[in-house]
Amino acid sequence: MTEDELKNLTADKVVDARGTACPGPLLAAKQKIAEVQSGQVMEVQSTDVGTKRDIPKWCNKMGHEYLGTVEEAGYFKIFFKKQ
Amino acid sequence: MAKMVIGLFSGSIDRLTGAGVISSGAAALDMDIEIYVLIMGARAFMKENSEKINELSETPHLQDQFFNGLDKNKVKKWHEFLKDVKEITNVKILICGLAGKIWGGEKTDDFIDLVDDICGVGEYVDAATNADLHLFI
Repeated sequence: MTEDELKNLTADKVVDARGTACPGPLLAAKQKIAEVQSGQVMEVQSTDVGTKRDIPKWCNKMGHEYLGTVEEAGYFKIFFKKQ
Repeated sequence: MAKMVIGLFSGSIDRLTGAGVISSGAAALDMDIEIYVLIMGARAFMKENSEKINELSETPHLQDQFFNGLDKNKVKKWHEFLKDVKEITNVKILICGLAGKIWGGEKTDDFIDLVDDICGVGEYVDAATNADLHLFI
């Protein structure tokens, strides 16, 4: 998805993992994904730079569709669709 | 399900923390985890020691910097990582019988609640042989 599309995307579930260091955001994604249905979109917010690489790799491994990352002031929004 | 086996020999805070972080990554990937706690590691898992562990493995002069970094980044304690991982995936934590005896731990109750059982080294070697990922920390 383009950055503009991502910025206009409303996630079905938003997980605020800001302020936690690795592996906090990844574990938050792992734990909270159980709360969304297949095909729904989750947004993980993180201040940890490594998460930008970690969650796309995790999505690839788990079969979820990584949609993209948007950089906000001081944090990132990482979007993916549950398989 | 893929399995990660850790031979946790170290009882140093930096390596224990590392083991917790790596286990978290494995849990996120839905891996089963078996941790075999060996010689020095068993000391850290003793009930009376788990909160006192503060030695670094190789760089004692960096101890203050290490702990300041943990605090600044709100990093969990080493055993808190393992507790959380146990809530996410299948984790077995087994203490090597000999290692336990060295530090005065003869039974499971002598160790923190995360510990599942006492084992022999043969089980560790067998598990490591059959694991998808084996780490010796």
